[in-house]
Amino acid sequence: MLSLSQDLPTLRLSVKDFDTYGQVTIESTVPLSTHVEKHTAIFVVRIRADKHFVIRRESFQSRYIKSIGWARGSDYYMLTINVTDVDFIHEAANLTNPHRLIIDIGLPGMKTAEAQESSVSRARPSQKAPEKPKVSEEKPEETVRSERAQPKSENIPSPISAPSQGIKTIVIDPGHGGLEAGAKGRSGTLEKSLTLPISKKLKSIIERNLAYRVVLTRENDVDVSLENRAATANNNRAALFISIHVNGSPRKAAYGSETFFLSLNATDEEARRLAYMENNSSEIESRISSERDDDIMMILWDMAQSAFIAQSSQLAENIQTELNSLLGTKNRGIKQAPFKVLTGVACPAVLVEVAFITNPAEEKKLIEEDFQDRVAQAIYRGIANFLRKYPLE
Amino acid sequence: MDTKRLLLLGVLVVAAIILVLVFFRSGGEEKIKEVSVEAPKEQEKSAEQPLQTKTVTLFFLSEEDSLLHPEEREISDNSSLAHLASQTIEELLKGSRNGSPSSFPDETKLRELFVTGEGIAYVDFSGEISDRHTSGSTAEIFTVFTVVNSLTYNFKSIKRVFILVEGIERETLAGHIDLSRPLLPRYDLVAN
Repeated sequence: MLSLSQDLPTLRLSVKDFDTYGQVTIESTVPLSTHVEKHTAIFVVRIRADKHFVIRRESFQSRYIKSIGWARGSDYYMLTINVTDVDFIHEAANLTNPHRLIIDIGLPGMKTAEAQESSVSRARPSQKAPEKPKVSEEKPEETVRSERAQPKSENIPSPISAPSQGIKTIVIDPGHGGLEAGAKGRSGTLEKSLTLPISKKLKSIIERNLAYRVVLTRENDVDVSLENRAATANNNRAALFISIHVNGSPRKAAYGSETFFLSLNATDEEARRLAYMENNSSEIESRISSERDDDIMMILWDMAQSAFIAQSSQLAENIQTELNSLLGTKNRGIKQAPFKVLTGVACPAVLVEVAFITNPAEEKKLIEEDFQDRVAQAIYRGIANFLRKYPLE
Repeated sequence: MDTKRLLLLGVLVVAAIILVLVFFRSGGEEKIKEVSVEAPKEQEKSAEQPLQTKTVTLFFLSEEDSLLHPEEREISDNSSLAHLASQTIEELLKGSRNGSPSSFPDETKLRELFVTGEGIAYVDFSGEISDRHTSGSTAEIFTVFTVVNSLTYNFKSIKRVFILVEGIERETLAGHIDLSRPLLPRYDLVAN
């Protein structure tokens, strides 16, 4: 076992506080190809990897960094660095000998005192350059085709010094499709054939009004696995992920719209157990049992969404508020459930249940074009409000 | 010399016995519990079964609100934890006596149920639970959590529930709730 782990590339994470900033060091036994991006109070670090990494972490206490989690994608690892202040910025540098990525996180104007580390960091911001185009190359094809017009940038603050890779993406996921028809109405309406037009309407409203491009997880009536839906979000580095569904219940009377975000249900306990096993120290154990999961210094996740629960709940709230006022449907409120499609998504993500297809009156409404327009409009407003309150860099 | 050797041998034997005992004791707390439930029952059975029953609480989605409401059932108590849990799920599949709609597609059957030492109940349903599911998030949430809640609520040693379909792990029943990991109960879905 030892020899095996010696052969595998290893990532070693550590955190150190300086006077004005916290420093995350990701040391590696192999050259690193990385990309760092900010989502409000979370920095997402992508590390290209065609093999498994062994990840070693040191526990830490930091004024700047709350927790670090990681998730594995198809060909990358993703670290989520949860920070203590939404205004924090970062400076990242890829260094060699040993291979390491150093990320300094603090308020703008950080690091006056420790010029040493930072001057080293600034000295070689080299390796980032070759990797970046590769990642963003992944789908320009589709982008260019599906983009009708370059959305105008009005109400979105332009990034200050962020590694701007152009326009941000919102991924919309029309639920079900293909053989997977979803819920069925009494007069035969299928969920899959409602979620697509609503999603398309939403796409065009967003692209008309916001400086975002929109990618749909499916454009036609085809099967798309839940994993691929989440992957579409992650591969496009989505800023938001909105899954559109139509609800069904064994209760005929059930009606109204609902917006869901992910509940960790079983997973938070699992994360604690894993965190404990990895760290295997009594000190950690007592900390885990006495504090909430937010405060655990290191959480091991295989669920990227775990890092975004708070933001996802805000997004859900904003969307639900608009659905309530625009549709006059009964408020079933925002809810949490362990939705498979949301677990792997690495950005704020929600699942909107527009109305109940199993309720005859709502089924009738759902097939009306006008109703679909109003739904799309409401969801758009919710998104816009969220983005106004939590502008993404 | 010989006595010394004998003594040493004796000490070793005693040590081995202690080790074995400790191993079994600490090994499966759950198992021991199960056995101790089972053993006396076996005797009772052979001594002309004094039919013992146990009251369990099942959860059904009510037609009135969108919450789970408890209903009680009697199940026969002369069996193992897995069997008690199986009976509970069988009762749940039979449906409500108060007119609550079923959260399960018709013909859904329980194939098998077992409980691991870590307190995870594996509940294996026939294919209907997924193939004939009406779909819809709400429907799926209630199918899943009537099962989870009904088990964890009645059996302390069941902490989490892993739902299988036709013996295998499924991603979801009908596209919504993640079944790839064991689930904790959701008592917030229960009416007060």
